[in-house]
Amino acid sequence: MRILIADDEFMSRRLLEKTMQRAGYEVTAVENGRLAAAELCKPEGPKLALLDWIMPELDGPGVCREVRKRKDQSYVYMILLTSKEKKEDVVAGLESGADDYLTKPFDPEELKARLRTGMRILDLEDRLIEAREGMRFQATHDALTCLWNRGVIMDLLGRELTRSRRERKCTAILLGDLDHFKSVNDTYGHLAGDEVLRETARRLVSSVRSYDFVGRFGGEEFLVTLNNCDPAHGLARAEKIRQTIADPPVDTSAGRIAISMSFGLLLSQEWGYMSVAELLHEVDTALYGAKAAGRNCVKVAAPKTQPDDARAPAPEAASRRR
Amino acid sequence: MARYFIDLEELLARVEMDRELMRELLKIFKDEFPLRYQALREAVESLDATRVVQEAHTLKGMLWNLAAGEPAEAAAQLERLGRNQETGKFRESFAQFETMAKELSRQLEACMAEVSG
Repeated sequence: MRILIADDEFMSRRLLEKTMQRAGYEVTAVENGRLAAAELCKPEGPKLALLDWIMPELDGPGVCREVRKRKDQSYVYMILLTSKEKKEDVVAGLESGADDYLTKPFDPEELKARLRTGMRILDLEDRLIEAREGMRFQATHDALTCLWNRGVIMDLLGRELTRSRRERKCTAILLGDLDHFKSVNDTYGHLAGDEVLRETARRLVSSVRSYDFVGRFGGEEFLVTLNNCDPAHGLARAEKIRQTIADPPVDTSAGRIAISMSFGLLLSQEWGYMSVAELLHEVDTALYGAKAAGRNCVKVAAPKTQPDDARAPAPEAASRRR
Repeated sequence: MARYFIDLEELLARVEMDRELMRELLKIFKDEFPLRYQALREAVESLDATRVVQEAHTLKGMLWNLAAGEPAEAAAQLERLGRNQETGKFRESFAQFETMAKELSRQLEACMAEVSG
């Protein structure tokens, strides 16, 4: 654990430094409050600090106030070292944001015990952050495939479309559906079906760039956005993804299973200002076309030139195309 | 016979029986003390309360670290006088501190020899 020591008096600093090193801490020692605040406000700065109360440039309580101004970084546990022991001094020190104070000259064992208290609090904070991040992941990801869940992938698509319109770029929307997935479940069981879904997710992620998005849209449906995609290459990229899914067959605990995926593809640049829902409807229609054309292929959603009332009706239900 | 100002037993406890660190601290004190002492003297002579507070505070910290309680208390007294702007009492208080400081400097040599031996 790293610790910052701030004391303008060399002898005190050296004594603290050695005491802390002996206790196993990695020490950064500075001689004034300004340097202390700068160290503690660094993103990867020490999370424990021993601050002398009276220092040049900025005193110990001043350092505490500077550090507490930051809202977005990890907690720093700060102990003020002071020869001040009047009640109003102690109150002022704690009000400035210090967690504890210790009267000088300090007893090494007491100092180490108080630092252990600080470490318990920092450890608690780490565990809370870990739990929060775990919950955040669960709230945004699909539990089976670890891809973005439907809500998030829709949100990401909306933002990406806004960005691509502003920058006059193209986003390729790819909606894929595993072919005959119901028969995979019926033939090999749901555990094997889950393995197929996980492997499909892995192959999708591995076949796009780090800044593209992949999400699980529904049961065996996946939504991929190819961001900033050259429209001339959109279909070729979709084809490549389709091939990656289909070959080789997936090894599962129930044996090798041949799979394939049908895709609808839409290039946003060709569609003007349509809502996310409208674009998804169009790409779903294209996916339906791919199913109707024999599956394991990509169909591109093309804007229609006919008047609105001549538009082909939307596919009725996803179940029809499985 | 002069009182022994440095409590070696307490100092050893403070450095957790690390005699090398104790020697290092004594050496730092030996080098730093005359400079700080001179700065305090000048502050007292010029009746500069702000500087008296600063210098006396620093000396107090050094002396406490050395487990030299009595001289540390004398420095603390000067610090208090400075905070209260009691400049009229500076010289008398400093004289008491000076007596201890001279004795402490003599004892420091003996102490260093003892620790080195």
